[in-house]
Amino acid sequence: MEQIISPIALYLICAIGAAGIALALPRRARTRSLEYAGGLLVAIALGGAALALGLGAADAGNPMPNVFFYPFALVAIGASVRVITHKRPVYSALYFIMTIIASCGMYILLSAEFMAFALIIIYAGAILITYLFVIMLATQAPTGDGDDDLDDVDAVAREPMLASAIGFVMIGLITAAMFSGIGELPESKMTQAQAADAVLAHLPKKVDKILEREGVLADGWRVVRDHETGLAMIDVDARTIQIELLGEDEHGEEGVLATRMLGAEDWPDALAADNIDRLGFNLMHDHPIMIELAGVILLMAMLGATVLARKHTELEEALKAAQARKLGTMFDDKSHGNGFDDDGHPSGGHA
Amino acid sequence: MMTASLLNNLAPLAMLAPGSSGEDAPASAHLAHMVEHVDTGPKWILLIVFLPLLGFVLNAIYAAIGNKSKLPAWTTIALLAVAFLATVSMFLSYDGTPYTVHAFDWFNLHYGEKSFVANFSFYIDKLTILWMLFVTGLGTLIALYASEYMSHDIGAGYCRFFSAFGLFVFSMSCLVMGDNMLMLYLGWEGVGLCSYLLIGYFYKKPSAVAAAKKAFIVNRIGDLGLALGIYLTFVHFGTVEYAALFSNETLHHYIDAAVAGDFSAIPGEAQWIALLLMVGAFGKSAQFPLYVWLPDAMEGPTPVSALIHAATMVTAGVYLIARFYPVFLVSENALPIVAWIGTITALLAATIGMAQFDIKRIMAYSTVSQLGYMFAGLGLLSTTGAAFHVLTHAFFKALLFLACGAVMHGFAGQLDLRKLSGISWMKGWGIVGITMLVGCMNLAGLPYITSGFYSKDMILAEAFVTPGYRLMGWILVFTAILTAYYTFRVFFRVFVGDQHAEPGEDFHGDDTSHFHPHAPGWAINTVLIVLATCSVLAISLAWIDKSEYHGWVGSMVADSTASFHSPYAVSLAAAHGEGDPHAVAGPVGYGAPGKILGMDPHGGMIVVSGLGAIFGVLVAAFFHGPKGWQGLFLGGRTEAGKCRMDAVARRAGPIPRLAENKWFVDEIYEAILVTPLRILAHIFHWIDKLLLDGLVNLFGFLPRVFAWIIRPSQSGVLQGYAVSMAGGLAILLFVVLVIVLRAGGAA
Amino acid sequence: MHAFDSLQLAQLAFPTEMSTSVLAPYLFVSAAMFAIGLIGFLTRKNMIIMFLCTELMFQAAGLALIAFGRHHLGSDGQTFVIFVLCVAAAEAAMALALVVLLFRHRESLSASAWKELNG
Repeated sequence: MEQIISPIALYLICAIGAAGIALALPRRARTRSLEYAGGLLVAIALGGAALALGLGAADAGNPMPNVFFYPFALVAIGASVRVITHKRPVYSALYFIMTIIASCGMYILLSAEFMAFALIIIYAGAILITYLFVIMLATQAPTGDGDDDLDDVDAVAREPMLASAIGFVMIGLITAAMFSGIGELPESKMTQAQAADAVLAHLPKKVDKILEREGVLADGWRVVRDHETGLAMIDVDARTIQIELLGEDEHGEEGVLATRMLGAEDWPDALAADNIDRLGFNLMHDHPIMIELAGVILLMAMLGATVLARKHTELEEALKAAQARKLGTMFDDKSHGNGFDDDGHPSGGHA
Repeated sequence: MMTASLLNNLAPLAMLAPGSSGEDAPASAHLAHMVEHVDTGPKWILLIVFLPLLGFVLNAIYAAIGNKSKLPAWTTIALLAVAFLATVSMFLSYDGTPYTVHAFDWFNLHYGEKSFVANFSFYIDKLTILWMLFVTGLGTLIALYASEYMSHDIGAGYCRFFSAFGLFVFSMSCLVMGDNMLMLYLGWEGVGLCSYLLIGYFYKKPSAVAAAKKAFIVNRIGDLGLALGIYLTFVHFGTVEYAALFSNETLHHYIDAAVAGDFSAIPGEAQWIALLLMVGAFGKSAQFPLYVWLPDAMEGPTPVSALIHAATMVTAGVYLIARFYPVFLVSENALPIVAWIGTITALLAATIGMAQFDIKRIMAYSTVSQLGYMFAGLGLLSTTGAAFHVLTHAFFKALLFLACGAVMHGFAGQLDLRKLSGISWMKGWGIVGITMLVGCMNLAGLPYITSGFYSKDMILAEAFVTPGYRLMGWILVFTAILTAYYTFRVFFRVFVGDQHAEPGEDFHGDDTSHFHPHAPGWAINTVLIVLATCSVLAISLAWIDKSEYHGWVGSMVADSTASFHSPYAVSLAAAHGEGDPHAVAGPVGYGAPGKILGMDPHGGMIVVSGLGAIFGVLVAAFFHGPKGWQGLFLGGRTEAGKCRMDAVARRAGPIPRLAENKWFVDEIYEAILVTPLRILAHIFHWIDKLLLDGLVNLFGFLPRVFAWIIRPSQSGVLQGYAVSMAGGLAILLFVVLVIVLRAGGAA
Repeated sequence: MHAFDSLQLAQLAFPTEMSTSVLAPYLFVSAAMFAIGLIGFLTRKNMIIMFLCTELMFQAAGLALIAFGRHHLGSDGQTFVIFVLCVAAAEAAMALALVVLLFRHRESLSASAWKELNG
């Protein structure tokens, strides 16, 4: 932890941030100076954090995150501060979208570009829009633009000091815990290339396609498949690929005509498993049951939401009676042959 | 006085006890002989007990179905009459051997060597039969009387009255016939309950309710003694069954020791049994100091007063002592205390009775007084005298009460002897007047012609002949004079003289201006005549078996465990029987019986108590006789008589006033018992309220305080809980972090 | 050319193994977002905002997962983010249905309007 950030700096940053958030949280006040002061403090804390992290890394000569990390991080945290400090729910939701987009930036920096786009589509596109709908559905539109027109529900935070203190104690503790253990994190056993390409063996058709596109494979050639497992015969470490020529031999039978070993010099740059390949493979190959469970959860959530939000209509007494009569006659009819006569026609028509 | 034990003087006479077969037979031999063979009796005996219970049940059913006729009365009369006939046949078929009749198992516990057996069974000997004869007989007669007396209350009240009546007879039968002390206790409490229910019959009258509660609560004191006595009996003798108790070897040894005068050989525990049972008897039989409930019990309907509070229930105490006479014999102090308490009660109640104006109350005090005589008789070793007096008193006191009840019934509840006069001459009241006269003569104990005289004489003579008890005899004679006075005061005031009557306050809905005294109907008259006849016929009982057993009652008692003939009485009877006191040597080592005024005891008693009674009557006539008797210098109800009365009253000082106010006994009890108890109760109430309730409430209050302190944390607001959760998580994280860092530091 | 080709992006972002000093800032951002979401959940009375804050915390968790996944050069982190998304979507559907239901009963979005369990 020491080489990452000084504990004193961490706790100081947490304290300033807590004070800032506490000040910035909504309250009924004549002026907004307190909120600005809070925002300033938060900004100071964020700047301090960035500085401390950066300086810490620079001092130790450790690699620093991509330079784009800093704007994304600042936007993400700043927007999330606005999510909780803005008095108007609609703005909160919009700031939340901003947080998500900033997060997505960081996802891309972490080479999780699929998740980044998925996040934007699902979160920003679907979930947050639902939130916006509910906000507009369940909130009376404020009569004016001033803060005084807002309901207490939105305009006043409850126990901002205590909550901020707890929240930033949490930051301090989580950060301290993570940073103290981070030095002992096991390094990945695979090289980056291995990690990226180990999945290629599972994707022989994709390898064929890339090799064909790169012009390495001549017509009729393909990667050799293992007979039992169906894996492509690719040695990622040695960067060698076995390829074979399929076709009819002189007897007219389908079969392998020739095999060849492609060396590392023939390994095209483009032959690599991209993120989506690996993610999809991981998802489908390693966590099939969890996908099923996720499906069940989503189905139940859909049903639950439908049942909960359904409008309970109060029937008029007369209407109820009428309905009961209807049900009664229905049951009576049932007892006389399910409401249909013997010919299978609805019984009403004959009478 | 207590130290002069009766039995101490008996030592040389031990062998005189009836039933002793030889010179050296111990005193307990008779008792042992009595319970040597206890047969199993015929089952129809159970009818006597369960017919009244059936009456109770039927009347309850009548009440439930809303019967509005005299059916409850006739049911009760019929059932009681059958019970009486069964009792008579039980008497006639009794062959001298006591027997038990088993109804059903009640308590039948065996543990190890010991056992506790108290079955629902009945023990029949002659004492039981004697009691049951007048309990069922009088019960039947009084039920007949009540059928007319209570007729203004026909409906639910009528059913209630007769169902309680049936329950009373059932309870009394259990009390008298039960073969163990628990049955006795059951009956004892049962009659107490019925007494309570019937005193409080007019439950809308506050005084009746108060009287009922008073009777019940005062009886509690006695019942506690009885319960403890039963408990101690079981602890000491290991049984509560009569047959087992009276055949108990230990008890026989005690009796022998007692007769030998060696009370130190008897453990205190055994002596205490009698003292405890005695307290029970005092409570139920209204003896000083527990007599205060009985006069108030007159709030109940008159038949109830007659049956329960004069004839039967109040004699339960006498029965108790008679039944447990062997147990009383072994107690050094019990019988002297019984004798003296009885004497004091007799005198005290008689003085109060002299100054009362309510005729029913006078009868109540006379009952207390006569019960005092019975107890004196018991204490003086004359169970025969006591039992005889119980019998005669049952007849004449029931008669007196019923006559008073007839007056009360006829004159709209008027009971004040100053407001009634000359009733006997009114149309239709002749029978009441004559029977009342018979009753009064019996109560006063006019010599030779009344049965009350003979029974009282037996007790008085016993007192005079027992060494050291002559004072008691004189007190009792004096009381007899007072009794004669107040009895005839009532008679002269109410039944003779000018015809005059002011109605009372109970009009049964009639208009005051149209008041007519309604003369008693055939039922009341019949009952009065029967009772008067019985009272007269009871004289003959004194002569049946006179030489052998001192009268018929003596023969009944002699064949029971109550039999313990006083050696004085034996010598007395012997002397009397021979007619010449000098002809018979006194019992061995004792000498001739004592003399009264130079005559043999019975002769002396006839003179003393007979003259005393006549004197009392004359005094009554002198002060209260009607105007017409002025010529005889007797008519006291004139201006001159009034002056004489006032002069006597002045000379007597505060005594008449004190007597009229019942010697302020109720007030004294109020001051020295009730008030301190009430204060104590208030103190305990506050202790309970402040200390105990306070403690309990404190234990309830503390959690509430804690809850009040921590309740705000349960705000019900979602985020409050979320704050706690987050805070808890932070703390947990902090702890984990500290542990991890420390472990990392150590490594 | 195909400047934003996913392949190239992957190559760009995947030049070498990621050092812990690069990982740490991402984790710090994640912790900060989580804490801000927590604070928002605790302070804001509007139920919709509260649920928004839970989404914020989901985001923070997702960021940490992806950062760790990148550090380990595996795909499990991203896979888990998919499940987090899934749960977040389910939660959003249920939560918003609940909000609508509760709002119908009390005409208020305040979480404090529901405190029947107070002591």
